[in-house]
This record gives sequence, C-alpha cells and structure tokens, in this order.
Amino acid sequence: MKAGERSSRFLARRLFSAVPLLLGVTLISFTLTVHFGPDPAWEQLGRNPTPEQIQQVRHTMGQDRPFPLRYAGYLVNLARLDLGHSYASGEPVLDILLRTVPVSLLLVAPGFLLGIVLALVLALAAAWRPHGHLDRFCDLASATGMSLSLVIIVIALQAVFGVWLDWFPVRGWRLDGPVDYLEHAAVPTMALIAANMGYNLRFFRAVFRDVLADPPVRTARAYGFRARRIATGYVLRAAAPPILTRVMVAIPLIVISGSLIIESHFGIPGVGLVTWNAVMSGDQPVLMAVVSFSSILFVLALTATDLLTGLLDPRSRSA
Amino acid sequence: MSCIRLAALCLAMSAMAGCQQPDPGADQSEKVYRHAIDGAPSSLDPAHADNVYAATLVKNLFDTLYRYKYLERPYELTPNLAEGFPEVSEDGLVYRIRLRDDARFADDPAFPDARGRPVTAQDVVYSMKRHFMDETRSRGAWLWRDRIAGLEDGVEITDPEQPVSGLQAVDERTIRIELTEAFPQFTHTLAMALSAIVPREAVEHYGQEFGVRPVGSGPFVLERFDQSLAVLEPNPHFDRGTIQLDEEGYDADRHAGYGLAAINGKPYPLLDRLEIHFITEPTARWSSFESSRGVDVVMVPPEMADRVLETRQPLSLQPSIRERYHSLTGLEAGFVFHGFNMANPAIGYNDDPQRERRNRELRCAMRDAFDWSAKNKAFYHGLGRVFAGVIPPLLDSHDPQVAENSIAHRPERAKERLQAAVWQGESLPRLTYGLEASVQQRQMFEQFRAWMQAVGFPPGHFQPRPFASFGEYARAIGQRELDIFLLGWTLAYPDAQYALQLFYGPNAAPGANSMNYANPEFDRLYERAASMRAGPDRTRLYRRLNRMVIDDCVIIGSLARTRLHLWKRHVRMLPDREMVGGFFLRFVDVSDDRP
Repeated sequence: MKAGERSSRFLARRLFSAVPLLLGVTLISFTLTVHFGPDPAWEQLGRNPTPEQIQQVRHTMGQDRPFPLRYAGYLVNLARLDLGHSYASGEPVLDILLRTVPVSLLLVAPGFLLGIVLALVLALAAAWRPHGHLDRFCDLASATGMSLSLVIIVIALQAVFGVWLDWFPVRGWRLDGPVDYLEHAAVPTMALIAANMGYNLRFFRAVFRDVLADPPVRTARAYGFRARRIATGYVLRAAAPPILTRVMVAIPLIVISGSLIIESHFGIPGVGLVTWNAVMSGDQPVLMAVVSFSSILFVLALTATDLLTGLLDPRSRSA
Repeated sequence: MSCIRLAALCLAMSAMAGCQQPDPGADQSEKVYRHAIDGAPSSLDPAHADNVYAATLVKNLFDTLYRYKYLERPYELTPNLAEGFPEVSEDGLVYRIRLRDDARFADDPAFPDARGRPVTAQDVVYSMKRHFMDETRSRGAWLWRDRIAGLEDGVEITDPEQPVSGLQAVDERTIRIELTEAFPQFTHTLAMALSAIVPREAVEHYGQEFGVRPVGSGPFVLERFDQSLAVLEPNPHFDRGTIQLDEEGYDADRHAGYGLAAINGKPYPLLDRLEIHFITEPTARWSSFESSRGVDVVMVPPEMADRVLETRQPLSLQPSIRERYHSLTGLEAGFVFHGFNMANPAIGYNDDPQRERRNRELRCAMRDAFDWSAKNKAFYHGLGRVFAGVIPPLLDSHDPQVAENSIAHRPERAKERLQAAVWQGESLPRLTYGLEASVQQRQMFEQFRAWMQAVGFPPGHFQPRPFASFGEYARAIGQRELDIFLLGWTLAYPDAQYALQLFYGPNAAPGANSMNYANPEFDRLYERAASMRAGPDRTRLYRRLNRMVIDDCVIIGSLARTRLHLWKRHVRMLPDREMVGGFFLRFVDVSDDRP
C-alpha cells in the first residue's frame, strides 16, 4: 500500500472516529448550557416583568421545548451551518465568528509563534549546557513566568509602554495598515510571550534534555559532529513529536477561544471577549457555536498532529 | 536563525512605528473625543436600551421626543424631537405632541435610494407600538403598559397597522396619546432611551440585526460597533440650530473653569468623531486615561480613589490631579440597598399575626445590626452617602428630616429587639443570602454575617448563594429563591415615584418589587401620588410612603454612590451619567490645544 493511500485511510479513519466524539462534546456542552447556564429569558426581560411575559419570552426563544427536540434542532442547524442569531445583539452568529476569529488570530498569532521560537532557542541552548549560566537563567525565567499572573503582566506592560514611555496605545484595535497593526499588537504580543514563556521554556528544555541524553547524540558527539549538525539533524527531529503535540493542541484555543484577559484588558474585539459575554449572559447560540467549532478544530488538530508525528517518527506510524 | 531575525525586525518596526506617533485613527485636524464607560451594550435597539451602556449610544443615534437640559440641576426636561412641551388636557389624560419639521433619519440602504426621510408622527406611534410586539422582546413595554389606553395588560400588537385607541398620529407632525389615568411622569418616559424613535423600514429591513445596525435621527451615526468600541460620526441631516447655553442651564459661577462659554452659539454636535470605549476593568480604564492616546474621561472607580483624593471629608483631589484634569463630583441618581423577601413566612408575612410581628422585629434587628458606615468605608471608600429610605438625596422630595435610626449601627438595640420578640440562637430562621460571584460581593457577605453574629445569630444561619451572572441573580430574586439580597436601583427619571414603585404590591416579583412588599395602604397612597402633579402635597405623600417602607423594615438602606469624573483639560464638557446620560455628548467640544 502506498504511503499516500495509507495517509488518506488514516485520515478518513480519524475523522470518522471523531463523529461520536463531537456528538459527545456537543451533547455535554448543550446539557450544561441549558440546565446549568444562566436562563437567557431573564436576560431579555425589562425591569418589571410579569410571569406571563417571562413565559412569553421563553416561548419565543424556544426555551419551553423538550430538551431532545432542542438538541436535535441544534445539531441539524449546525450541520447546515445555520448558527442562528445571538440572543443579546440579534446579530447572526456566523457573522460574529467571521468578524471576531480573524481578530483573535491576528492578535494572538505573533505572540504565540514568537514565544515558541524564542522558547525553543533558549531551551535548546540551556539543555545543551546543563547547569550553565543560561540554564540557570532559564530556571529563574520559567519560575518567574509561571508565577506571574497574566493580569499583572498586562497591567505592568500597559503602565510601562503605554503610560510611562508612551510608545504604544494602552488599548484598542485598528487595522488601517501594517503600522497600525504592529502598533496595536506590540504590547499584547509582549504580554503573551511573557505569560507563556515560563511553561514553554520548562517543557521544551525537559524534552531537549531527554533527547540529548539519547545514545545516538552521544555517538554523534563521539564522532566529533558539529553541534549545529547534531541539533538540526537529530535533536530537533527527535524532540519534534512532543513539541508538535503541545503546539498543535494550543492552536484551536487561539483560533476560537482567543485570549479573554488580553482581549478584555486591551479592548480588542476578538472571539474570547464574545465567548465570555456569551457565557455570562447565557447567549446559547453564540456559546454553542464556539464550543462546537472548538471541538471540531481540536479533532482536526489532533489528527494533523498524528499525521505529522507519523511522518517524523516511523515508530509511531507502525504503532 | 532567520525566524529570530524576522521577529526582531518586526518588534523593531513596531517600536519605531509606535514611538510617539500621532493617533493613526484620526486626522489631527479632526475633533475627536474619546469617551469611556464601564460596560458594553449588546444591542443598540432602543427597545432594549434599559441600561446605561446602551442608553448612552441610543440617545446619540436616535431621537427622543424630550431630553434633559445639559447643565440645569435639578434635572429639567426640554423638547428634543418635539417642537415644544405637550399640550395636556385638564384631567391629565390626553397629550398632544407636535414634532419638529426639520428632523430626518440618517441615510441608510433601508430607505428608497438609501436617502433618509423626515421623521413623522407615524414613526412615533410605530416606535411605541413595537414595544408590544412579541418579536421586539422589548425591555421597556412595562413603562407604558396599562398607562396608554388600548395597551392594557394582555394586549399584544401583532401588526404594526393594528390600531391602538390611545396612540394616534393626528397628522404628519402631531401625536395624540391618551392615558388610562393621569401620570405626570409620562413626559419623563419620553426622554428615556427606550422611547427613542425608529424608522419602520429599517427595523423590517434589518430584522433581528437592527440591534447592531441602528438607523435613527440623532446627532450621530454609527461608524463602528463591537464589544470594545463604538465610533460615531456626525449625522449630516441633524440640524437643531445653535447651542443656547442659557437655555441649557448655564451658570457662569457654577460652571466656571470648564471652558463651556466657548461653545455658546455653535451648531452641534461639535465633534467630527466620537469614540465610546467600553472598558470594564478599572485598571485598564485608568491606564488608558493616563495615556496620551487613551480615553479623555474616566469615572474614578473606588479602587483608584486613594490615587486621586487628598481628603475625603471634604472631598478634595491631589494637587497633581487638580492641575492635570478637570473634575466633577456628584451623587448618583440611584442607590444600593439590601432587601428582605417578605413573601417568605420565615422572615416576612405570616398567617400567624404574632409570628408576623416577631418577623418584623427580626428584620428591624438585622437592620440595627447593620453598619452602613463600615460598609461605606470598606466598599465605597467612604464616598457614598447613606440615607434613610429610598428617596435619594438627588431628588427634591428627599426627606432630610426623616429619623436616621434606620441607618444607624445599633447592635445593642438589635439584641433588645431579638430578646423582646423571643428570638434567640437556634430559634432564629436560617436564611439564604444571594450574591453575585465576585470577591467583593463575598466580602460584603462576610461583613454582613459578622455583624449578625455579633447580635446573636449562629454562624451557619446565613447561607450564601452565589450566582455567576446578574441575569441569574435577578432570576433567583424574581423567583423568590433568596431571603436577603443586595440590589442597586437607578432612577430613569428624577421622580421619587420611580423609586417607590419598588414597593408597589402589583409589581411583586418577578416585577420590580423584589421584596414582595404587600401593604394595601401603601398601594393606595402610591396610586394617589403617582397621578398627582409635582408640588408640596405630592412631596408629603412621597415622604409618607418612604417612612412606611422604613417603619416596616422592608429593606436595609440605602446608600447613594458618589460619582467622581475626571477629564482632560482640552475637553470642554460637563459629563453626566445620570439623567442627562448620553445626551451631553452632542455638546462636547475639543479645544485645539490637545496634547
């Protein structure tokens, strides 16, 4: 069987096996939202409602229909990509996602990518010389990064770069051109790098240490191969599967969930803020759309991870 | 290494781009004012604008028939879309309102040729009728239900053409409204954002999306709207002549130093671009205000009071703050209070008259044990104004003579009451205390529990019940699940009737009477007062109603919070979050010496 055919079959198998997973996730989410989330009818009422008006609003919103019918209706609409309208604003949910997901992507992607690259470089250098100055610095940096709350980091960066130095806007989001974009994304990017650096650095360094302790690296060193050749030819390749898994699993979070704290503190109209508002107000159409697409993206990310891992590591392919 | 080089290049470019650049979103010759509020509206449909966030925008995108004068205090109505004040019949039942002849809706694809058309009396009738249509999901119908003839309880409008006896367009510019009984506050309801006038074409064109694609005849049109920012630009069809400061209540002494005289005689709105930033986090709001490119105004949150205040009594600002910013302090048009659920026989009304008397003593004892002064210091930085009852100090009918026993911390009196009513230890009822899930609300609960323990309540007798959102909290109160709860009530118009309706029997939960207070004598007097014209007789009646609420120990209250506004010196305005609310934004001006 050819490699391409094998991959296609694998992909088809993975996607098929994802169907029950998706059904399970949506059922649990829908149940939690309907039975334990805020009652959206109460968010729609004025200051002096009568019991009849409450009932009327519940009826208009379809809240009085039996649960199985509501869930089935939701699944049918999801399959048709008819996500309905937001209870709160009346805007079509699809429009909300199309408007906010790109914002979150543009906001989070630079910090995410730069943070990973920076952490990889630092972690590899630190792992290369255990107990050296850089390794000790990484210890300190990762402990500090993990201890600091993102809120504190955001407030500090806003105070330094937005108020004290006055280099960047404290908040807001404009995309009138690349300069606008860089200007508005700079401080959030720094915040994301600072917030994730601790965890990434620690994880990547541990992976690199394991790989560097492998016999083939010892052999390569014994043969007198240059450090660059060992790093690119073996270490990065051997460390790729766990690192790839960590990175790929994080992608759906960036795409669909955004970063609530970043978006909220910097006043950026991304999907994280929309999701938070939907959770708090019981805006079920928005909430269920976010949950559903997050689940689908997770499945796709995991599938892609498996495929890539298979390409990088033949052992996992045979497994 | 190329990735690192690219990253470094990006950051360097970003740094260069950011360093001390002018605001890229605005032409430097433009007059831009950046307003900040502490929450975001979800919908800009006037029918949903029952909160300060939506109202701030709605009052600028749409027209209401009346508005409040910019600078006059106490607040005073003035015609807006209406040509003058309504002609009211002798019995106070029939209102005739004539519209201005120069009001036009903003251009929008919803209209033929995308050209806005004149606002007519039919639009006013339609805008009120749609509150009673199911699909509108109005939050404001309660204001006019049972008050306008033909819109009695149970009446539903299924077709915009459906006639309503009390709501008629007499001609293109005249509206006739007939009330079921005299309601002198009616004109005030026509200044609320909920009453703003919408064009039927746009509502039908955009359907559910009208909440994010508003079309009105107000001074501004919407250019951008999302969860963090709304950008408004002047409506080219809006022409209401020039600002006459004297007619707006300008007082050279009272308003000295704000630079307001410079706007006199100018056409309005004065801005080229109005940005309204929705910033919920107090620290982010403050950082933005301090930044040169951030918002131009901030309502100082209590958490920041220490950074700006030099003294609290009397209230004075730090010299550096005084030097850099304009400031204004004032009490809110509302109050916070703790309510008791009178429908619970364990604490409120009871079939056994003796138990009912004991329950009253129990509530009064809890009120005596409550320490407003400590609460004010702990949670409102000592800036709130504690007052007895529910008529806030901002109103003319506020009663300064009312005894302050109900707001005094008297733990010994509380113990005496409990002892006299034979309440002790385990015999005391177990009560559910509702709170929104936040650190501050939890702290408030712990403080409350400590005061109650100090007068003899066993520690476990108050069960906190947290809710993730205000909507859920409101639902629990509406369904009478809570025994004690903290509530805030903001007056939509400056009349004590709006506060006293909280205790009117027919408004019982899920209505505004969350306490489920049922006192036939109160209801009778309230109904009488609600139909009386303003004057000493009505004020006496209002004060009597206020004392009934105090005597029956229905609430523990109240406290009016102090609003402290700071704004940058290049902005000429007098901000207001209360009745004038969003109306003041049309008069905001920005001087040329913006830093």
